[in-house]
Amino acid sequence: MITFDKVSKRYASGQDALAEMSFEIGAGEMVFVTGHSGAGKSTLLKLIGLVERATRGQIVVNHTSLTGVRRRGIPQLRRSIGMVFQDHRLLTDRTVFDNVALPLIIAGTTREEMGKRVRASLDKVGLLAKEKASPLALSAGEQQRVGIARAIVGKPPVIIADEPTGNLDPQLSGEIMQLFAEFGAVGTTVLVASHDLHLVKRLGKRVLVLDHGRLIDDFRPTVQ
Amino acid sequence: MTQRKQAERNVRKPPPAAAPPAPAATEPRRPRSSLRARLGAWRDHHLYGFFSSLGRLAARPWATALTVLMLGFALALPLLFYIAFDNARTWSGGLREAREVTAFLKPSIASAAANAFAADLRRRDDVAGVAIKTPEQGLAEFRQLSGFGEALDILKDNPLPNVLIITPRFAEGDENPPLLVDLKNDKRVDLVQYDATWRRRLSDILGFGERAVAVIAALLALATLLVIGNTVRMDIQARAEEIAVMQLIGAGSGFVRRPFLYAGLWYGLLGGVLAVVIAIGAEWAIAGPLDRLLASYDHALALSGLGVVSALIVIGASSLLGWAGAYLASARHMAAGHPQ
Repeated sequence: MITFDKVSKRYASGQDALAEMSFEIGAGEMVFVTGHSGAGKSTLLKLIGLVERATRGQIVVNHTSLTGVRRRGIPQLRRSIGMVFQDHRLLTDRTVFDNVALPLIIAGTTREEMGKRVRASLDKVGLLAKEKASPLALSAGEQQRVGIARAIVGKPPVIIADEPTGNLDPQLSGEIMQLFAEFGAVGTTVLVASHDLHLVKRLGKRVLVLDHGRLIDDFRPTVQ
Repeated sequence: MTQRKQAERNVRKPPPAAAPPAPAATEPRRPRSSLRARLGAWRDHHLYGFFSSLGRLAARPWATALTVLMLGFALALPLLFYIAFDNARTWSGGLREAREVTAFLKPSIASAAANAFAADLRRRDDVAGVAIKTPEQGLAEFRQLSGFGEALDILKDNPLPNVLIITPRFAEGDENPPLLVDLKNDKRVDLVQYDATWRRRLSDILGFGERAVAVIAALLALATLLVIGNTVRMDIQARAEEIAVMQLIGAGSGFVRRPFLYAGLWYGLLGGVLAVVIAIGAEWAIAGPLDRLLASYDHALALSGLGVVSALIVIGASSLLGWAGAYLASARHMAAGHPQ
């Protein structure tokens, strides 16, 4: 579902963020990307969503070669990728329902369909009761779950999350990660960047370890 | 265009070396959406832009009011000039029609001699007709038109001369026809007034006025465009985060841009409506004194205000300007979030 083939990324500042990175992630697989800060985790996710372009190498996401996607095609590509951010990036001037509905509005879903799907994804993250609330009235964990509901509402084949538990305490982090694991179980490809190696190991999923822009390890921990 | 076609157009085929592991044919695609569904989506997108832009303007009532007031006054100014000019043109219409040559005879010429002179003139080929206005007629007319009736009563003698009003038969473009030359050289004539000269001058004045109004209107239209453009630009900057989020979750530039374009349209529309209200208010404010003034001209003239059609044109044009201003302002801001 996601293939990196000798991908390098050098920023305009001259900083090398990724060097000759190659890996393959199958459909429905859940993978963690970990490493210290500055190792290239965020860059890797940005390349998948075409927030940044690779300097060299080939990236294929959902059978689409990203080097071939022109600027006009970027929105179309992003609709097939659910993105979750560390700071959740909800729009605070509208309700939880409207935030989650946004990808569907963009995709042009009919209103009846929209209501059903928004409630289904809010239900999945356990926030059905909060659909009329403002995101500001929610706790940090709830806000992040709204962010996840927004990422999954369009039923994208790929979900990428950049430090989704960065601002949460260990127990909430565990719950959030468990949510991602459930999506993986229903056939969605999930890629989560996290520096919390302890938490990552506990889930027993495949882990890519980055260091200074290089892939130094690719393993599946055994669950204790 | 279907989403599938759109995707194919936007996505070049990967080179063979990086061919995807699974054949593209097995790729899950959304079913081809029906025309009705796509029309519905298009309508929903526009409704979204329509209402979200309105909500944004309503969320900041003071800032919106200030912008609309500025636009309203900027647009009202050329509108008032136009109304004034339009009336001047209507009122001057009677004068422009005049073709007569008016010859004021010397006061020493008595009525009998004036009649003989008129008879002489009627025999000329280039004269279609001659009317005589006696001093008595002239005085009566002056008394009626000028409003100086009582002052005239003080005069012992009638100071007015006989006047010959000659309808000529010569061509329009002739600068100095023989009839005029003859009249000017005649010893019995004190003054020849040929309205064509005045008419030409009036046409020039009106032409100048028309151009001046057009130039002012064009400048203020440009100002309107810039004011709306700048307002929308600041709005875009204030919503940079929201725009970034929308782009990240797959909004195309059209979707992101639409609420701003509608906002520009709203600014233009409200500004245009306000300009029309200001113009009508100004008209109403000067109507009383002006009516009294016009009444002294024997009600031959009346103020013609802003017509419904003109008002609608002004509102439509300012809405269009608003849209265009927003379009220009948003064009360069939409590139952010999309790497080349």
